[in-house]
Amino acid sequence: MSDPYLRVEGLVKRFGPFTALGGVDLEVYPGEVHCLLGDNGAGKSTLIKTLSGVHEPTKGKIYIEGKPVKFRSPRDASDAGIGTVYQDLAINQLLSVTRNFFMGRELKGSFGTLRMDEMNQIAHDEMLKIGIDFSDPTQAVGTMSGGQRQTLAIARAIYFGAKVLILDEPTSALGQKQQMGVLKTIKKVRARGDIAIIFITHNEIHSRLVGDRFTFLALGQTIGSGTNSEIDDEEMRRLMSGGAEMGDLKQELAAI
Amino acid sequence: MADQNEAGRLKQETALQKLLRRPEIGSFTVMLIIIVALSFASEGKSFSALGLKNNIAIIAQYGIIATGAAVLMIAGEFDLSIGSMIGFAGMAMSMMLKWGLPFGMGEATPFTAFIFTLAMTLIFGWLIGTVVVRSGLSSFIVTLAFLFFLRGVTEVSFRLINKSTQISGLPDYKEESWFANLLGGDVFGWFYDLWFMLGGNLNRKGAQWVDGFDARFLWWLIISAVAYFILSRTQFGNWIFATGDNKEAARANGVPVNRVKVTLFMFTAFCATMFAACQVFDTNTSDAAKGNLMELFAIAIAVVGGTLMTGGFGSIIGVVFGAITVGLVANAVFFIPAIDGAWFRVFLGAILLAAVFANERIRKRITGGI
Repeated sequence: MSDPYLRVEGLVKRFGPFTALGGVDLEVYPGEVHCLLGDNGAGKSTLIKTLSGVHEPTKGKIYIEGKPVKFRSPRDASDAGIGTVYQDLAINQLLSVTRNFFMGRELKGSFGTLRMDEMNQIAHDEMLKIGIDFSDPTQAVGTMSGGQRQTLAIARAIYFGAKVLILDEPTSALGQKQQMGVLKTIKKVRARGDIAIIFITHNEIHSRLVGDRFTFLALGQTIGSGTNSEIDDEEMRRLMSGGAEMGDLKQELAAI
Repeated sequence: MADQNEAGRLKQETALQKLLRRPEIGSFTVMLIIIVALSFASEGKSFSALGLKNNIAIIAQYGIIATGAAVLMIAGEFDLSIGSMIGFAGMAMSMMLKWGLPFGMGEATPFTAFIFTLAMTLIFGWLIGTVVVRSGLSSFIVTLAFLFFLRGVTEVSFRLINKSTQISGLPDYKEESWFANLLGGDVFGWFYDLWFMLGGNLNRKGAQWVDGFDARFLWWLIISAVAYFILSRTQFGNWIFATGDNKEAARANGVPVNRVKVTLFMFTAFCATMFAACQVFDTNTSDAAKGNLMELFAIAIAVVGGTLMTGGFGSIIGVVFGAITVGLVANAVFFIPAIDGAWFRVFLGAILLAAVFANERIRKRITGGI
C-alpha cells in the first residue's frame, strides 16, 4: 500500500459554540475511491469545505503527501491539487462547453486573444478521456444532460491539476441512467491510478459499486471506517443511519 | 455507451439552419422590414444623400451608448445614469472651453477639455461600479440615484458658473483643432465623393450636396468593433459572459467578478462621454437637458438587439441592428411629414415587448427549456 496523498488528523471545526466536526480522521490514496457517507447534518459538507479551503480548521492537521498544509483560500487548496466539484458544479449554462471548461483560466495568445481552436480541442479530448464524446464543444452547456455537466466539471478539475477529486453528491438529482454514467466516469478516473477520489453520497448501492474505502460520519464524528471487503451490508446500513441498530429502529417504528 | 447516445441526440444542422437560429436573426429581420418600409413611405428621401447622413447620425448616437449598455447588461448590471452622464460630460466640456480649465490652469483646448471630462466621468463610472459591487445593492437603484445626482450637478454647475443652463456660440473648434475635427467633423468623405462622381449626391444647383458623414459614425463603428472583439475573442470577454450568467460559478473558477463589473460601468461612462463629445464639437453648443432619457433608449436598443435582461448573453451585431432600426424610426417623421412623431414611441414600445419575448425564447432554447 502506497502512502496516502491526503491525510486528515483529528480535524475539529467549530462555528462559535457549535461543533460541526469533532475530530475527524481521513486517509485518501491515489487510485482509490474513498466514499464519505453519513446522514444530513453529519458534517460531510463542513469536512469538504475545510478540505477545499473554504473554512479554516479550528484544530487538527491536513497533510498532503506527508507534509502539513494550511489552506487560507480555495485558491490555496486548488494549488495543492484539491479539486472540488460542488453540487451546483460552478457551471454557466449559457456559455459553451469550452468557455466553461476554461472559465477563469483561459489560454491566451499574443495580444491577449483566446486560442479558441486549441481550447475547443482540449475540452473535447479531456472529456473524451473520461467518457463522453461531446462532438461540438462550442455548444452551450444548457443543452447538456446533468451527467454530461458532471463530466465536464470533473474533466475540468482534472485538467487543471487536481490530485484529489472531491465529488459532492454527484449522483443526487440525476436520473437512473445518468447516475450510472457518472459512476462510469468515476471508475475511469480511478483507473488512471494517480488521482484520489472522495465520493460523497447518500446512496449505499452507488458506494458499493465504486468505493474502495469508506468513512462514516455522524454528528461530526467518524463512527466507522474500512475497506469495501471489511464492511458487510448489515454494518454499512447501521453506520449509514448514524450508528443506530436496525433492530432498534424496527422496534421504534413498531411502537408508533 | 449511454452518454454517446445523449450527444447523438443533438441534431446536426445545415449552415442555413444555423444562420436562422442565430440570436441576431430577429433584430436583423425587423431592421430589413423597417429599411424597406421606410424607403417606400418616404419615397426614397430617407436614403437620399442628406437623409442617409442624418439617419446615420442618430443611429450612431444610439449605437454608441447602446453598446455600452449592452456589454454591461451581458455582465448582469444596468446603468440608468447614461443619460445624465451625457449631460454632465457635455456641460463639463463646454464650460471648460468657455471658462477655462478648473483650478486656474488656463485656457482649455478641445483636447484638454475632453481629457479632463473623461477623467471625471471615468471616476464617476468607477464610483458607481464600486458602490454596486461593494454594497451588493441592485445596480438599478444605485444608478437611478446617479441619474438624479449627475443631472442635478450638471444644472447647478451651469447656473453657478455660467448663469444659464445652456452654452451656445462656442467658436467652431473643428476649423483649427484636429482633435475637435476627429470628434465633430466629417468622415468617410470618399463615400459621398464617389456618389457625386457617379452622378448622384447633387444639390439644386447641381454641385456636390453632402461632403461626409458625422464623425460619430466612425466612433460608433470603432466602439462596436472593439466591443465585439473583446466579447468574442478575449479572456475579458469570457469573464463578462461568465459574470453575467452565474456570478458565483464565475467567482468559484477564479474570475474577478467585481473588477469586471467596475470596468464595465466605466465603459458605459466612456460611451456617454463620447456621445457628448461628438455632440459638443459638432454643434458647438451644450445644454443641461442633453441626453435626457438616453439611458432608457440605450437599454431598449440593447434588448431589441437580443441582449438578455438577466445577463450572460447578448450580441454586439444584434445591437448594431437594433440601433439602426430604432434610429431610422426615430428619424422617420422628418422624411414622412404626414405621420405623428409620437408613433416612434408606440413602435419602440411594441418592438421592445416583442424583443423581450423573443429573447426569452432564445434563452430557453440555449438552456434546454429551464
